[in-house]
Amino acid sequence: MTAYDVWGERKKVGPFDPTTAIERKEGCVIIHADRRDEDGRLIHYKVLNDLVRQIMLEGQRHIVLDGVMGHRYIASTANRKDLYIEIHGTPGNNLGAFLDGPTIEVFGNAQDMTGNTMNSGKIIIHGNAWDVTGLAARGGTLLIKGNTGYRVGIHMKEYAGTKPTMVIGGTSKDYLGEYMAGGTIVVLNLNGKVDGSPVGMHLGAGIHGGKIFIRGRVEPHQLGPGAVINQVGEEDAAELDPLVAQFEHAFKTWVPRDWGMWVKISPASSRPFSGHYDPTSI
Amino acid sequence: MGGCGIAGCINMAGGRISGDTIGKMLETMGERENGLGAGYACYGLFPEHRDDYCLQFFFDHEGAKSEVEELLKSLGSIAKDEKVYSHKVKSMRPPFPIIWRYFFNPSQKLEWRGRSDLSNDDLVVQLAMHINADVPGALCVSSGKDMAVFKGNGYSYEISKLFDLGRYSGKMWLSHSRFPTNSPAWWGGAHPISILDWSVCHNGEVTSYGVNRKFVEMAGYRCSVLTDTEVVAYTWDLLVRKHELPIQAAAFAMAPWYHQDIKRLDPESARLATWLRLTYKEALLNGPFSIIVGRREPEVTLIALADRKKLRPLLCGRSVDGKTAYVASEECAVRVVEPSAETWTPNAGSPMMAQAGKGILRVGTEHPFEGVG
Amino acid sequence: MPQHASPKRRMELEAPDRFRPVVDHELCKKCKKCVSECSYRALEFVDGAVKPIGGCVACGRCLSVCPAQCIEIRQIQSMFPPHANFNERVRRGIMSQATTGGVLLTSCGTDIPYPVMFDELLLDAAQVTNPAIDPLREVVETATFVGGRKGRLEVKENGHLHIEKEPGPMVAMDMPIMIGHISLGSVSYNAQKALFAAAKELNILAGSGEGGLHKDFNVFSQNLVSEVASGRFGVTGDYLKRTAAVEIKIGQGAKPGHGGHLPGEKVSALISQTRMIPLGTDALSPYPHHDIYSIEDLQQLISVVKEATEYKVPIGVKIAAVHNVGAIASGIVRAGADFITIDGFRGGTGSTPRIIRDHVGLPIEVAISVVDQRLTKEGLRNRVTVFAGGSIRSSADMIKAIALGADAVMVCTAAMVAMGCRVCQQCHRGVCSWGIATQREELVSRLDPEVAAARVVRLFRSWNEELKEILGAMGIDSVESLVGNRDRLRYFGPNSKIAEIMGVKHVGEGWG
Repeated sequence: MTAYDVWGERKKVGPFDPTTAIERKEGCVIIHADRRDEDGRLIHYKVLNDLVRQIMLEGQRHIVLDGVMGHRYIASTANRKDLYIEIHGTPGNNLGAFLDGPTIEVFGNAQDMTGNTMNSGKIIIHGNAWDVTGLAARGGTLLIKGNTGYRVGIHMKEYAGTKPTMVIGGTSKDYLGEYMAGGTIVVLNLNGKVDGSPVGMHLGAGIHGGKIFIRGRVEPHQLGPGAVINQVGEEDAAELDPLVAQFEHAFKTWVPRDWGMWVKISPASSRPFSGHYDPTSI
Repeated sequence: MGGCGIAGCINMAGGRISGDTIGKMLETMGERENGLGAGYACYGLFPEHRDDYCLQFFFDHEGAKSEVEELLKSLGSIAKDEKVYSHKVKSMRPPFPIIWRYFFNPSQKLEWRGRSDLSNDDLVVQLAMHINADVPGALCVSSGKDMAVFKGNGYSYEISKLFDLGRYSGKMWLSHSRFPTNSPAWWGGAHPISILDWSVCHNGEVTSYGVNRKFVEMAGYRCSVLTDTEVVAYTWDLLVRKHELPIQAAAFAMAPWYHQDIKRLDPESARLATWLRLTYKEALLNGPFSIIVGRREPEVTLIALADRKKLRPLLCGRSVDGKTAYVASEECAVRVVEPSAETWTPNAGSPMMAQAGKGILRVGTEHPFEGVG
Repeated sequence: MPQHASPKRRMELEAPDRFRPVVDHELCKKCKKCVSECSYRALEFVDGAVKPIGGCVACGRCLSVCPAQCIEIRQIQSMFPPHANFNERVRRGIMSQATTGGVLLTSCGTDIPYPVMFDELLLDAAQVTNPAIDPLREVVETATFVGGRKGRLEVKENGHLHIEKEPGPMVAMDMPIMIGHISLGSVSYNAQKALFAAAKELNILAGSGEGGLHKDFNVFSQNLVSEVASGRFGVTGDYLKRTAAVEIKIGQGAKPGHGGHLPGEKVSALISQTRMIPLGTDALSPYPHHDIYSIEDLQQLISVVKEATEYKVPIGVKIAAVHNVGAIASGIVRAGADFITIDGFRGGTGSTPRIIRDHVGLPIEVAISVVDQRLTKEGLRNRVTVFAGGSIRSSADMIKAIALGADAVMVCTAAMVAMGCRVCQQCHRGVCSWGIATQREELVSRLDPEVAAARVVRLFRSWNEELKEILGAMGIDSVESLVGNRDRLRYFGPNSKIAEIMGVKHVGEGWG
């Protein structure tokens, strides 16, 4: 097992054998990400992800990562639908990037760019996720129990029947759903703050497809260009119910179906910026 | 969103934090650096020399050291001077500068370049700038009381080993690991960038650098460290120490609300917000940034601030017993030293402030002008 | 030489016409609109067809009104044998002066092909190391404030932070553009109304020009900068107190060192009333202000105007860009000005001797850089707002002027082109076929102020969007972070000394 630095040059790994981090049990394989090498350093993410790939290729369906501390790019491009990855600790940036099938469940907080450009699969976070979560997601589901940060759900898009969805149990900050072209984002505001809004400014800036549902107050000045705000109707409730049920199931909690307290953010048009340019031949 | 890692911690209840802690925080975010610079600032380091200015230098050769010593002796008295402990790290490449510190006090009734009205602080600032710009082979790395900066051109763990950070403990630590974007890598360019008791660690790029630089230079500062972060440090010194702006006002000037949002503030706040923007428009730091800033007067304080679009990560944390506050680029840096910490992100453009002896003064989600006095 | 075009054949020693309108008779509908619309009387309907009879100045009016689109304005290729040194322009000038014995008079901005430094500067953009910002979806601010500043703010803390009183008068503009001073007299009532209405709609400032303020335009006064020029036309206490700001005009880019001259023929009843001078007399603006012979005198005038306006509005000074512009600007700031306008030599005018328009002054690109650097060096730059004018032709020029050191730009000619002007350099004759640079009622009525105002509004709005595109591309979200940020420019021209003087690096040079 070798490790490489960013230029592809061999890093000294020494006598430490990363495969000693693997613990095999009945029905699952545990990888102890908090093993330290002879320099006292945590195993590098490349090494960890190599181990994960190795075990995936064996056909294992349940992998546990324990003691994760900032390791990046875990399960990126993983594509087995029947795979379940359980993570304890704090996964680093880009968890599940390009994910295409598996389910990842994190018992802790995630960092930035979780679910980056994911195609299908499920990511469940029992905690907070921070900035740029769900960037350019094309399909699959992100369920976050706690709060999220800035620029969440940017450029989510639908195509040929696949649709990405994200349910956030707490709050989100500025630029939620910027450039949205498809899919559904739900913000539940379960953590308390009654007055004030569970989302920030520039909501849905440039939205031209998809919908954002927010359980809570949204003032017109919070909307970004191209976004309109409406009440939640019966059709919307029919779409929301199963999504919210998934959230309840994942976190063993209950979400009130008080649709009167919810608003829907959707595009004013699919071409929000026509009229901005002068195409005259001069 | 990569590039540069920042981490800081402060014990607000009178205790001390070991250099190993900050080293661990930064090391966990090792992906954020590329070996071209790292550094640490420690506050509350020299209780026996609490009131002396600790001037810490890099010297390329003995000649530069003598020249600076002559200069210091002509301007004041040196209570003590010593080699800064360092320990050879095999992976770091020479040359290594001579690293020396002086506990210095300016004379009374001193004249500097025709001016006799300078306070001690002003004099030390002028002295540091002069040495950095005009004395070849010498660089003043830090110039505050009861604090020092340990930095160099290497990985964060190499710098930590070089100075054997574990031998130090302090009330507060700031640290930075570098992935430089537009300036060359050299010992002086690593962060924290420090002047007097201010130290700044910066992740980002100052797109308004040309404007900010002219602003601080008009006020007598000189930029010579070849990194845009320098203007950030000087701007804090100018706005808070010289112009006596409260910290939240200075932070607002550097990361102000948009005019469209100022309109929605109450009239008195809108007035203050507008006039801060107008008066200090050249201090607006444009571009993406997360910065952590440390100061010692009147009490050791940690400030964390993200740009108003929040284009760089910034996370805050607090220990369960409430005694220690943390800031970092990534959550893992906090969790690795404080597994049960409560974490949150401050709002874009809104400073988090924590002060020794007082606690967390602002979490970063409050009204911009709420007093902390 | 007759003031107006003569239908008769030209004298043998006069230069031949430069332009001829050529009608395609197959398409011509014989509506005769072109004949009646041409104010230079260069077309006639004779023997059943429209014929050119000399005197065409290529103002383009006939083209734009012809329903059949059958007119071509042909530039008559040189009737002179080619000579690179004694070029056509030079020979025409000699012939004309030999005939009239007069100082050649002209209008608009210089047409000599001096190098344009704006066209030799390239802007930076953000790549990788800092993100570009999308102005359509994220905030990019272009609001600009005009007024003096004190350099520091005293903030009190007492539960909440606050300031006790506002430091001084400030005027807010939604974009860094001001419509420059164009007097009522040099342009028509309808043209000025259109410009003022556009300024109000855009929430920017427009200069009232040195012709006083017509009472009908009091409604626009909160978007106007009144002008105290050497002739003091219409300058009363009421005029000064009414407008949003006051500017003392020392000079103008197109004619540095020269006063103004509105011939008696253009002093109609309207002009006489507004300027408060007798009907039919020449309106003469002396060359200097006769109460300003030195910088201390300027300080007095600034101070008396501040007193007269009770310190409620910003007071500024406009100068033409001349060789010592840096030092002069520094003196003006120290004399108490809240804003300074630097007008470059390429600026336009309604009437000026050609010798001054074409050969005197400095280009604005260099002038603004020099002023910004000098004021910075003296620690004064953050006390004043600096405007740059003198041929800002597009948003690119505006952006580069800001990067070179201007807080905002002053634009005149471009606004007039939006209203119909074709820059034919005949303003001084007072028969502008577009109804802009004339007092003749039948011509003025051709300009619809509402239509014209809407065109100017659209022009500057699109420039403002282009400004946002460039700011966003540079990773800057507020225009104040570009002011004087010459690091974001690179010089791509042949003259490295100019680049050095402007404080701009060469293409290929990096940071630091």
